[in-house]
Amino acid sequence: MLPACVGLIPFGLVCGVGAAAAGVDFPGALGMSAIIFSGAAQILVVQLYADGAPVAVIVLTCFVAGLRFLMYSAAMAPYFRPLPARWQNGLAFLLTDQAFAVSVRRFSATHDPRGGALHFLGGGGALWLMWQLTNAIGFLAGNVIPASWSLEFAVPLCFIALVAPVLRDVPAIVSAVTAGGSVLALAALPMQLNLIVAGVIGIVAGTLTDLARERWKAH
Amino acid sequence: MEGALNIWLVILAVGALNYLSRLSFIAAFGRCSMPAWLARPLKFVPAAMLAALVLPMIVAVPSPDAIVWANPKALAAIAAAVVAFHTRSALKTLAVGMLTLWLVQWLLRVAG
Repeated sequence: MLPACVGLIPFGLVCGVGAAAAGVDFPGALGMSAIIFSGAAQILVVQLYADGAPVAVIVLTCFVAGLRFLMYSAAMAPYFRPLPARWQNGLAFLLTDQAFAVSVRRFSATHDPRGGALHFLGGGGALWLMWQLTNAIGFLAGNVIPASWSLEFAVPLCFIALVAPVLRDVPAIVSAVTAGGSVLALAALPMQLNLIVAGVIGIVAGTLTDLARERWKAH
Repeated sequence: MEGALNIWLVILAVGALNYLSRLSFIAAFGRCSMPAWLARPLKFVPAAMLAALVLPMIVAVPSPDAIVWANPKALAAIAAAVVAFHTRSALKTLAVGMLTLWLVQWLLRVAG
């Protein structure tokens, strides 16, 4: 989890800086990092909040972006199954992109669910603490970081680190390319609705390609 | 005050939905596993949503008709994507991406 923790530092700083720039107050910024605990969702909230988007649009956009957690949850479920419900409820909160990326490999390598869970709890807890700390520092010290460092570029880089490794088959590439193309083509839509529309277009395109490929293989 | 109220409404709603999404199949496993019709589209959520989030951040979009593809951030993003694809390391991706960006920006300043 240590490399994931270090990788999170610039991302957390940028989330804090973004919250301050969007006019969210300090308790609000802390609330976002502590409760939402998802860089992608926080960046979306801050961007949309600054644009004056209605609450419903912000929540809906974050919900679609957060659908990936359903997939993580299903992938981790077999490993969490031997644990008591209380543990499952607590550990689920720590299931972030980074924790998932690290743990899914670790859990599949070990046959000791309790050890795996403890590792997940320790690593996930450390990620959470690091996230609060970097978000708070970013909020308070945002203006100290020179703009010429282009620290905001850490945000797309963190997303690239998550997305590039999954682009290993044709349907996934089709999904990413159609979503990326759509988001630019639809940039004129108000309230950044292009994000959610492009996301759905990409998901549908990937699914159809996957189905078509399966059918083609079966013949 | 209204703004402050709204942001807390957003925080609680997004936080709750995020948590329920994370908990969903961990809590439900045993009673039901993920149905195939849901599993297939969900597979593409990260690729589609993350691509949709990333693209506007790396290509300058002054207007939909004038997308600037050739800029330091797009170049650095491509370098970072190659590293991410081959190493799966967030740290190396960040390092290569930031260093490439700084290098290209510096070259442009020196050349310009």
